Amino acid sequence: MSESAPRRPARPEQLAADLARARAAVNEVIVDKPEVVDLAFSALLAGGHLLIEDLPGVGKTTLAQALSLAVGGNWQRIQFTSDMLPADIVGVSVFRRDDESFEFRPGPVFANVVLADEINRATPRTQSALLEAMAEGQVTVDGQTHPLPRPFFVIATQNPLDLTGTYPLPDSQLDRFLLRTRIGYPSAAEERRLLVEPDRRSLLESMQPVLDPERVGELIDAATGLHVAEPVLDYIQALIAASRAHAAVQAGLSPRASLALIQCARAHALVRQQDFCLPDNVKQVFPALAAHRLQPLAESGMSGDDIVADILANTPVP
Amino acid sequence: MKLPEQAIPLHTVGWTVAAMLVAALPHLAAMPTGLAVLIVAAAAWRLAAAHYGWRPPPRWLRILLTLGAVALVVFTLGALWGRRTAATLLCVMLAAKMFELFRIRDLRMVASVCFFLIATQFLFNERLFYLVYLATGAMVAVVALIQIQRYEDSTLTGRNTADPDHRSLIRQGAVMVMAALPVALTLFVLFPRLAQPLWGLPEQVMDGRTGLSDSMSPGSIANLFLDDSPAFRAEFDDQPPPPQHRYWRGPVLWHFDGNTWRQSQFASRQPAIPVPADSDTIRYSIQLEPHEQRWLFVLDYPVNAPAEAHISLDYQVVDQRPVTSLKQYEMVSNPDFIDMPELHESLQRQALSLPPERNPRTLDRAQELRERYPDDRELIMAVLRWFNEEEFYYSLETTPTGRHGTDEFLFDLRVGYCEHYASAFAILMRAAGIPTRVVTGYQGGFWQPNGQYLLVRQSDAHAWTEVWLEGSGWTRVDPTSAVAPERIEQGSRSAVGHSRHMLDTEWLRTLRNRYDRFQHLWNRWILGFDAERQQRFLERLGMPDTRPGTIAVIMVVAMAMVIAAITLVVLGRSWRHRDPLLRAWHRLERRLHRTGVRRTGGETPLELLKHAAGIMPDQAAELERLAEHFGKARYGPDPAGHAELFIEHSKAFKPVSPNEPGALNSV
Repeated sequence: MSESAPRRPARPEQLAADLARARAAVNEVIVDKPEVVDLAFSALLAGGHLLIEDLPGVGKTTLAQALSLAVGGNWQRIQFTSDMLPADIVGVSVFRRDDESFEFRPGPVFANVVLADEINRATPRTQSALLEAMAEGQVTVDGQTHPLPRPFFVIATQNPLDLTGTYPLPDSQLDRFLLRTRIGYPSAAEERRLLVEPDRRSLLESMQPVLDPERVGELIDAATGLHVAEPVLDYIQALIAASRAHAAVQAGLSPRASLALIQCARAHALVRQQDFCLPDNVKQVFPALAAHRLQPLAESGMSGDDIVADILANTPVP
Repeated sequence: MKLPEQAIPLHTVGWTVAAMLVAALPHLAAMPTGLAVLIVAAAAWRLAAAHYGWRPPPRWLRILLTLGAVALVVFTLGALWGRRTAATLLCVMLAAKMFELFRIRDLRMVASVCFFLIATQFLFNERLFYLVYLATGAMVAVVALIQIQRYEDSTLTGRNTADPDHRSLIRQGAVMVMAALPVALTLFVLFPRLAQPLWGLPEQVMDGRTGLSDSMSPGSIANLFLDDSPAFRAEFDDQPPPPQHRYWRGPVLWHFDGNTWRQSQFASRQPAIPVPADSDTIRYSIQLEPHEQRWLFVLDYPVNAPAEAHISLDYQVVDQRPVTSLKQYEMVSNPDFIDMPELHESLQRQALSLPPERNPRTLDRAQELRERYPDDRELIMAVLRWFNEEEFYYSLETTPTGRHGTDEFLFDLRVGYCEHYASAFAILMRAAGIPTRVVTGYQGGFWQPNGQYLLVRQSDAHAWTEVWLEGSGWTRVDPTSAVAPERIEQGSRSAVGHSRHMLDTEWLRTLRNRYDRFQHLWNRWILGFDAERQQRFLERLGMPDTRPGTIAVIMVVAMAMVIAAITLVVLGRSWRHRDPLLRAWHRLERRLHRTGVRRTGGETPLELLKHAAGIMPDQAAELERLAEHFGKARYGPDPAGHAELFIEHSKAFKPVSPNEPGALNSV
């Protein structure tokens, strides 16, 4: 159906229905984690990138694949290893003997959806090539700038436990990712379903793309235009101010983070089929948005997640 | 089965223990040191237990400790059962409670008892300084209660119980104490005063100090010189009299036994001859500090006596009971009155009697003088000249004397304080046949120019004499003025010259004078607000009926109004919303709160309604509809219509608390 109307802007209801179907499709594959799926869609529709951090085997890659498939467009998967070079990601200029010129061979980063698996296995040099591409939306090779396709969405995964031979992303680069989320274990009932039902990964193969790049662009525009009422703006400001006043934080959230927060909240509202933004949307995206940006003081003994929980518990909602 | 309770963390226990220690502080200072050390040790044990996570001692040990503590109090103080013992026992029991201070309930009890403990201090002393203690003690106890509540909330809602924000605690405590002030003020103004308090009067007000006594022996007034505490304060309707006329009359002494001067039973029992008021009378009011004696100090000669006091024949003003709390009285004095133009024979005999076989040299000197100066007045002048011209010294550094003390003083030592001069002069006069009596009291005082009152300290205690002269009756003669005139004109301190102790610096004296102004205001407006003043105040407010019963009713009504006003101000925050939507929302929130659905700190409105729907599944659909309307009305782009719908639905909504054991707790 989405192929049938590729060129003219879809009506809002149409867009919403498509989004709902995409969301349903991903939820079909990823059991029992609707919040995580919503966050992932929020990152996409807010025009940012997503970092999934969790133990192996909980479905990081499956989520990323399902998301890429549902969004449609072309997608690439990069499995990061320690011997990878930046050229392996952004592409190389190759000398063509027949017309004696250099030809640019785009790397796997030239795709709408890039799945960067185990990003912390690559060297910092390689990591920063990807992160630069994420920040700029373009790639520069041999002095030539090549724009990346639109929309450009990176889903990176990272294993926080297996640290030997890895290069964890430094804090300053973590904030290139709009949201960082965890998946967590499924509930007992869902785990049982997982055991008795056919393998989820086989569902991926039969999955049809629901959206396409144009649709995603329209959805991003729709998210940007979503109504945010005064009390919600008050709440956003209160949360940002609380992060700056918190005793256990080195530095509070920047204005860029507050812009990101409002955009994510809008995207989240859109994913949730609302036509306006609720404080609940802000509250639900806040942990994924803020936890990796807040650096706790070492002596406080609190983690970023603790601080975020503390801020949310102590900020009254207007 | 009971779940083992989590150990209460140090910050919560710490505030409670701090409240106990602050409340017990003045009691600790007053009780035997051993007991005080034990109490502090018990508090320290509890803090250490919180820090190292010790378990409470076993039950039998706790009982043993408590019984031992009670036995110790009875053993050390038992003989004099009274307020002090009771207060000490209370402190000791609180200290024993430290060993079972392991539940929130116990913490709360200790913090509450602290308020009572603070109040008991005012049975002993009512000075201004204790206002600081009252404020600090109440504040710390309130903070302890708040922290206990916060800790309990956080354990119930499962939030982290990490270190509390002490600044916000103190701020909230201060706000609560402030909010209580109007209530306290209402009670202060309207609580029916009784002429005598139900619980008796403060005892041991002098804290071991002595004050002026009813007899005078060498050294008894000099001892007071070191005591800088106020004796009384006087306010004058007009200008205060000049320093040389500020003689504050106290006990009048007639009998001399060779060492000590005592009162005359006869003269102090007989009523006075009334003193007429004329144009030169001085009008003044006195706030007398408690001194555990019955005299009221006045200027010569008192025209009226305050209620419940009488004036004796020798013009002492004597109260019915010892003065053990601040006493205020209005006085009128007539300095020009002639006291006893005719001296009755029996009084004359008393005023001339001397112990036999004492001070032979003094008696010889008196005879000598008598022969040289047949006129009484000339004789007096001669003696004063003698004191003035020869090497007599006015000093505190006196030497104890033997049987013929006055002889030694007049002819050998010649160093003495006012009681030495007054006594020697009176003996000389009596030996020469002039009726004489000794008057003790205070002389001078420090004029507080900003406070417009005269501060008389214990160190201003003085003794002088009165001789009876033909034609002018009893006439004041102050031999000290001949030896050290600056004592009379500038006060006792200038006469002695050097500083009396280490802390006697000019700077500290100024500070003390400043502080005394506040003490004066405190005495005058707070302690002095007795039944009579209350009645006058209420009459001025236009209340014709000021019987205690009526006042009590007025008090209850006023209290209700004040509490209602405070509640309005506190709740005003939610009432200030002119927005009907928010008002409806707060009403719904309160209704849910009553059925046990409490909104936690960061819960959004929609989360709260969902949370409520989880508890009341029967009303889930209704709650969902409310949530939808509220969300659209408050956060949506087009609130019109939804706000009205929400208000309408929320009014109709009656939360029903489900019959679950969990919900019953909150009902």
